Amino acid sequence: MSHTVLVCDDAIFMRTMISDILSQSGFEVIGEAETGVQAIEKYKQLRPDLVTMDIVMPDMGGIDAVREITKFDGNARILMCSAMGQQALVVEAIQAGAKDFVVKPFQPSRVLEAVQRVLG
Amino acid sequence: MDLSRYAELFLTESREHLSAMNHALLALESSPEASEPVGAIFRAVHTVKGMSATMGYRAVTELAHELESVLDRVRRGELAVTADVTELLFEAADALEQAIEGAVQTGAGAADDTAVPDAILDLIARLKARAALATGGIAAKQVAEPSPAPDPARPSHAATSNRLIRLRLASGTALRGARALLLVKRAASLGTVLEVIPPVEALQAEEFGAGFSIHLDCTAPREEIVRAMFAVGDVDRVEVDGVETVGQPHQQTAADGQAGSAARPTRQVRIDLQRLDALMNMIGELVIARGRLLDLAARHGDPALDEAVALAARLIGEMQDEVMLSRMVPVGQVFDRFPRLVRDAAHGLGKQIVFTVEGNDIELDRSMLDEIGDPVVHLLRNAVDHGIETPEQRRAAGKPASGSLVLSVSRERSTVLVRVEDDGKGIDRERVLARAKEMSFVEKDKAALSDEELMRIIARPGFSTAERVTDLSGRGVGIDVVMNRVRAMGGAVEMRSVPGRGTAVTVRLPHTLAIVRALLARVRDEVYAVPLAHVNETVELDARSVRRVQGREVMLLRDDVLPLIRFDELLRVGANGAGARHQVIVLEVGERRAGLVVDELTGQQDIVVKQFDPARESLALFSGATILGDGAPALIVDVGSLL
Repeated sequence: MSHTVLVCDDAIFMRTMISDILSQSGFEVIGEAETGVQAIEKYKQLRPDLVTMDIVMPDMGGIDAVREITKFDGNARILMCSAMGQQALVVEAIQAGAKDFVVKPFQPSRVLEAVQRVLG
Repeated sequence: MDLSRYAELFLTESREHLSAMNHALLALESSPEASEPVGAIFRAVHTVKGMSATMGYRAVTELAHELESVLDRVRRGELAVTADVTELLFEAADALEQAIEGAVQTGAGAADDTAVPDAILDLIARLKARAALATGGIAAKQVAEPSPAPDPARPSHAATSNRLIRLRLASGTALRGARALLLVKRAASLGTVLEVIPPVEALQAEEFGAGFSIHLDCTAPREEIVRAMFAVGDVDRVEVDGVETVGQPHQQTAADGQAGSAARPTRQVRIDLQRLDALMNMIGELVIARGRLLDLAARHGDPALDEAVALAARLIGEMQDEVMLSRMVPVGQVFDRFPRLVRDAAHGLGKQIVFTVEGNDIELDRSMLDEIGDPVVHLLRNAVDHGIETPEQRRAAGKPASGSLVLSVSRERSTVLVRVEDDGKGIDRERVLARAKEMSFVEKDKAALSDEELMRIIARPGFSTAERVTDLSGRGVGIDVVMNRVRAMGGAVEMRSVPGRGTAVTVRLPHTLAIVRALLARVRDEVYAVPLAHVNETVELDARSVRRVQGREVMLLRDDVLPLIRFDELLRVGANGAGARHQVIVLEVGERRAGLVVDELTGQQDIVVKQFDPARESLALFSGATILGDGAPALIVDVGSLL
């Protein structure tokens, strides 16, 4: 059975790209979220195996969303998507419960490696 | 069996253990309650004991044995780590070192039944007395034996053990700080993290060299730890309790989770450094030959020849890289003895110093590392002796009683920076100025000294303002020795000193001594080599952008004013005809910049540095010589001395 994924990013471009990378490798993208609040709602509703989470999103940032999601589900597997130079934020996200991170610009192989690590 | 051929190996390994022991002793001194340092010292002594017994070194074995007894008492909580116990352990560590060196030197082997030296007998007696003293307290202490607290989450039957995990991240790892944090968290899932070096905060801020270490209290087998660490990703090397595993980053993740194939231990051999040196020399000659070959092939214009030569050239390049890499060792190998040195020096002077070493994992060419050791010792001693004040003086100045001394190593482009920084009283400029006037190093009416002038003056041989001579420094040698050594290595020294705030000395070194990439520049009929590490850019000299400022020629380069150095004038080869075109090489050392005016740039090349005696006054401009591709010799410009 393929793993289910929730992709959270405010940019359609990024969501599409991540979704493509993942679905081409046999993952099932079951939902997308544009904001932190949406991410939490969709997580509760869909209970995906994996969440990819952008750090900077409107209304509620990715880190707060990580905090809320892990509060709801201690075993949530969240992969942060960050840009170079966001080290402090990524560190914060990891402390909040994120399991791993990938750095933009994305290389499909890197994304898949990180996804495997988080799911493994 | 002839054991003598193992002596060298015994010595090398024992030194490593002694270094570990000294480290642990320093840790123990700062936190006497900690159990990990005692364990580490015990392990080191135990290993040395076993090895020396095999070699038949009686003095070493006996000393190690008694030391082990004392440590065992400490470990079992029967002997408290008081200041005099620490002192005794330090003394024993020194004695052990002497005994080891002595045994290897005299070749006292199994058959040799020479008496154990008196000093060591004395120490053995004192260790015995200590151990005996402690036994009195067994009954009372046994209850409080520091057995690790049982953790309900983990099986209690397995023995807990302190693991030292050393990790190195793959080069090109993104957000190294965040990755390091993931590793620490992963380690924490296997057991209890006792200590992270450097501390987690520093890791998160990416303030660490190629790697870092975790002391982990855990029962998991080594392979599991190794697998778990590689599974976090971007890990290049995992070392658990001294056993190293090198990963192949990309295949790693795929293999992970399926089988235990992630843990593939490297196979190592020890190589005599002389062999590596010989190899390096030959590669050097090969690099010269390659340059010549490329030159000759270019003249023939035969595609088949070109192809063959290009292939050979590439292979030589790869070989050079490989040999170079095999010569790289972490600076820690030499720097590990410094904490002890600083501690002893500080104790001797009644000073309190917190000494930190950063970037211990950064790698340097072995020969370079050997060369840099002494200059760094000079700088550290200067800082302890002259820089950092006594606790009373510091308190009076409103500073914390303990001074801070930081030795850090970092990379910057193709150079390595070694920095010694203290928060002491800084250099007394007034005194230096007064003394410089006395010795007529400066004009009588000079009012103040800049950092650079200060540096130049104290770097003059024989200049010293130390009030009294100690056994550490202040003999009028010091910074000039440092300067000479560093310049001989093609490096540069910078200094910054703020009165009352401290002094920082930065030594800038090329990555390797032997081969450097250089820009070749022609002045009249001669070609000179300028190490690329110090070249920022090159521009054509445009007469319209040249100005005169305070009698010096400068050039406007974008928004900058660049002092110009006419190399032909410096070399006194006579001015070039008017209207001739010139090139400017923009040189940079630290924050100092200047433009070197030459006739023509003739190319770039890897050059093999042949050193010559730097004491020759007339050659102050050059740091060495090389042989170019066409077989002609060329002098290597010492950029540090030009700026």
